[in-house]
Amino acid sequence: MKVSLFITCLSDAIYPRVGEAMVRLLAKYGISMQFPTVQTCCGQPAFNSGYWKEARESAKTILDAFEDSDFVISPSGSCTGMIHHYPKLFENEPVMLKRAKALESKSYEFTQFLVQVLGVTDVGAAFPHKVTYHPSCHGSRILGVKDEPLALMKQVKGLELVPLPFAEDCCGFGGTFAVKMADISGAMVTEKADHVLETEAEVLVGLDMACLMNIAGNLRYRNEPVRVMHLAELLYEGVKEA
Amino acid sequence: MAEPTAHEQWLAKLETESKTRQEQFMNGISQRLGHPRMTEKPQHPFRGAPDFWKAFEWSEDERIRAFTDNFVSVGGHVARLDTMDDAKQFIADKAQEMSAKFVIRQNQPELDALGLENALPDAKVSVWNTDPEQYWRARAAEADFGVVIADHAVAYTGSVTVLSGPNKGRSVSLLPTVLIIIIPVERLKTKLGEVLTSFDEAGREKLPAGIHFITGPSRSSDIENDLTIGVHGPGIVYALLVG
Amino acid sequence: MSGSHQAGATVKARAELALNDEFLRKAVKFTTERLRNGKKKASEEHGNWDEWRERGKQIRLHTIAHLDYYLNLFVDNARANGVHVHFANTAEEAVKLTLDIAEHANAKSVVKSKSMVTEELHLNHALESIGVEAIETDLGEYIIQLAGEMPSHIVIPAIHKNRYQIAELLSKEAGYTLPPDTTALAGFVRKKLREKFLEADIGMTGCNFAIAETGSMVLFENEGNARMVSTVPKTQITLMGMERIIPSWEDLEVMATLLPRSATGQKLTMYMSGITGPRRAEDADGPDEMHIIIVDNGRSLQLGDPEFQELLNCIRCGACLNACPVYRHIGGHAYGSTYSGPIGAVLTPSLNKNIAEWDDVANASSLCGACYEACPVKIPLHDMLVYLRRRKVESGNGSKLESIGMQGFATVMGNSSRLGGVLRLGKLGQKLVVRSGVIRTKLGPLKGWNTYRVTPSLPKESFRDRFDTLDQELKQGLKQMDPAMQSRMEQLVQQRKNNGDSGKGGHGHG
Repeated sequence: MKVSLFITCLSDAIYPRVGEAMVRLLAKYGISMQFPTVQTCCGQPAFNSGYWKEARESAKTILDAFEDSDFVISPSGSCTGMIHHYPKLFENEPVMLKRAKALESKSYEFTQFLVQVLGVTDVGAAFPHKVTYHPSCHGSRILGVKDEPLALMKQVKGLELVPLPFAEDCCGFGGTFAVKMADISGAMVTEKADHVLETEAEVLVGLDMACLMNIAGNLRYRNEPVRVMHLAELLYEGVKEA
Repeated sequence: MAEPTAHEQWLAKLETESKTRQEQFMNGISQRLGHPRMTEKPQHPFRGAPDFWKAFEWSEDERIRAFTDNFVSVGGHVARLDTMDDAKQFIADKAQEMSAKFVIRQNQPELDALGLENALPDAKVSVWNTDPEQYWRARAAEADFGVVIADHAVAYTGSVTVLSGPNKGRSVSLLPTVLIIIIPVERLKTKLGEVLTSFDEAGREKLPAGIHFITGPSRSSDIENDLTIGVHGPGIVYALLVG
Repeated sequence: MSGSHQAGATVKARAELALNDEFLRKAVKFTTERLRNGKKKASEEHGNWDEWRERGKQIRLHTIAHLDYYLNLFVDNARANGVHVHFANTAEEAVKLTLDIAEHANAKSVVKSKSMVTEELHLNHALESIGVEAIETDLGEYIIQLAGEMPSHIVIPAIHKNRYQIAELLSKEAGYTLPPDTTALAGFVRKKLREKFLEADIGMTGCNFAIAETGSMVLFENEGNARMVSTVPKTQITLMGMERIIPSWEDLEVMATLLPRSATGQKLTMYMSGITGPRRAEDADGPDEMHIIIVDNGRSLQLGDPEFQELLNCIRCGACLNACPVYRHIGGHAYGSTYSGPIGAVLTPSLNKNIAEWDDVANASSLCGACYEACPVKIPLHDMLVYLRRRKVESGNGSKLESIGMQGFATVMGNSSRLGGVLRLGKLGQKLVVRSGVIRTKLGPLKGWNTYRVTPSLPKESFRDRFDTLDQELKQGLKQMDPAMQSRMEQLVQQRKNNGDSGKGGHGHG
């Protein structure tokens, strides 16, 4: 059984600790994750900006990387969501289209894989902190990942989950949107961070490092000490603590 | 036949133009859709509400309760009455309480039988469209009370349906300050679809010019999303469930 | 076209104005939140919401796919009802027809109920140009007409104004000071417009739905002004988009279930009127003469276009505006056109085929998908925004700078060793700007980002640098997989093979 890690360029370059937490957690269940190094980026920045030719260049590395994998797991609902767009991206190239559909059918966001495939909700973690959760838009809306992270957090000993007001509102990242429409994006992330602060949580957790980088960047800019983590990190840290 | 007036000639000209344009317009659409002009009725497998909804029905008690709750929740008033005599008394009491001077009512036998003219000695009661010389819209506009009988009512949305006709003015349920709607209980259905499908069944030629669903007093939330009652239509509405 | 939305030339400039208008932001947030919560409550209370959405979508898809049949049927039936039906391919034609009718009616004034199509045509100005007074009678529309502005929300046109501003506007109209009290203000408008309704020669309406099988038109409203406009004046003119059709009254139940709940959270609007032709000979009210002008004005461009045809399914409820985090921050005028919010961002460029003139309004979205989730007929607006961006790029109208950047992206991301090289360079380069682990500089390309945030620095090792060591460590003493888990995974792989390797991995619905 070949279970592969689709690290996503952001976690690869900036947050390797998230990939490490995933690999270590799955090892607990006897899964040795593969890491095909030819993968780069899912192509979403180019795709969303309308540069589909360029997006295809990037997407091809992902299709090549996971050709023989049985399961492709990523720490991002957004990047896995992008794989769901591949059939549209390659709609006019029959050979690539077939590969795109095959990849879509075996791609999972991390918590989807844990809960839906492995059937795990209790990883045996303890995390005695006040935590709030931001459900990222693409994970929850495109992939429908809504219950899985909550089920996992519910089983973590000592974890107090505080609801985030207006949780389902976008944090304002949106890839190149944050650069092209910097002021609108800035207003959105400021509001999101305000909501996080309202909860008085010590930790903000999520399933997508892009959104978390955005919110953390604003919190840090305001010198707010809220810790920002991917759920995989939280779970792994909790397993070590337990 | 009199000579057509200039206005009628102009309308006839528009009609001719319109028919030519209609062909071009529809051909353009079918071309864009990439199929030959459709002239046969297509299969419509999704007509109307989902099946589970079509099967849904309340008992009379449930209908009365739901209608009342809904109508009251949007600022309307409901009274549950046993007989038309009670309805007459209710209207007379309200007219006195609010010092109604002008009342207008539809010209229907059930309302004739109420004898409002005698029951409301202090008010002038006009009966819709009984005199061709009158400008009836103005009579309705000056009225304090409008009195109508519902053709249908819907419990699930808390709505009343009134249909227009020579004896049933659209203005009577629209222009007066206070609207009183008498609903014979047997006309109260569970859901909207039951009333709407009756119009499909009746067919085009049998439909009146105006079919109006009224779900409470006129309202607006256009200023700071703050609810205001009685913007253009009646601000006070009584639904009298009779029977 | 007049009003504050003209102040900026681009969506970015207009958004900046809005973002700096503290009042506007608060007002829009307050109301959209209220509407959004109302919708949530109403749809949950009704239950099976997704099944109703799916039904609504299917009815709209079916009607649009057979529009030549259903529109034609509607026209024939409406004509049989005594309606004068007209066709306008363009806004100009629709205006010309309207003015012609107004002139033949010797009209001095027109009372109008809320209609987005007439906004699209800028009909009020055209009427005024021939000396006909056009009076908006919907409370919100009346307010913005007095202010000389355009609606900033398709359901709540004056969402951006507070009662103090409104009291000032109405006081000017009254000639005396009105208190900033909602009931008093609405009371003044009721009295003022009552006279206008009774005097007007023409009543003008839009059309929420048109029923093909009986040639009837349906209006949803709360104030009663649409009923006034279609009951009192001698002539009625209805402007309707060519896509407003549904087959039957039975189908109206689905639309009536979806529209008010999605728009304002109501079970039904206070009035829902079905109008079938002018008044009958013996009727004492209703219009003597009724015209329906069917407007294309760019709509047919979506027909037969698989990426955009679903736009015609829109029932104009405004739920996508209320759900949109961008709309909530910048308000409707920042979109610079009649239709705002996510639907406007897609509809406006789609109605206008000149790609080169498209504003960057399609870029004013984070593609979060809240619009799709809110849409009662499931229009994938977030996908359409991407298609618009692609069309602009592919037609050679993209930004030159961005295009160079994207070519660079493709070069780096098309090959993992080039990506590795770039990361190494980045680690070297960032030494100049990293302070306590983050980058705060507002120079160069990070200016926009760093005005609101800090940028994280690159760690010593990327994941790809680190994986081999990690893998070695974990492979030692890797335990056996749970057989139940293993067999579930094998089963999934088998299932996938049986399905010809297609389908979705997770239980996605996108």
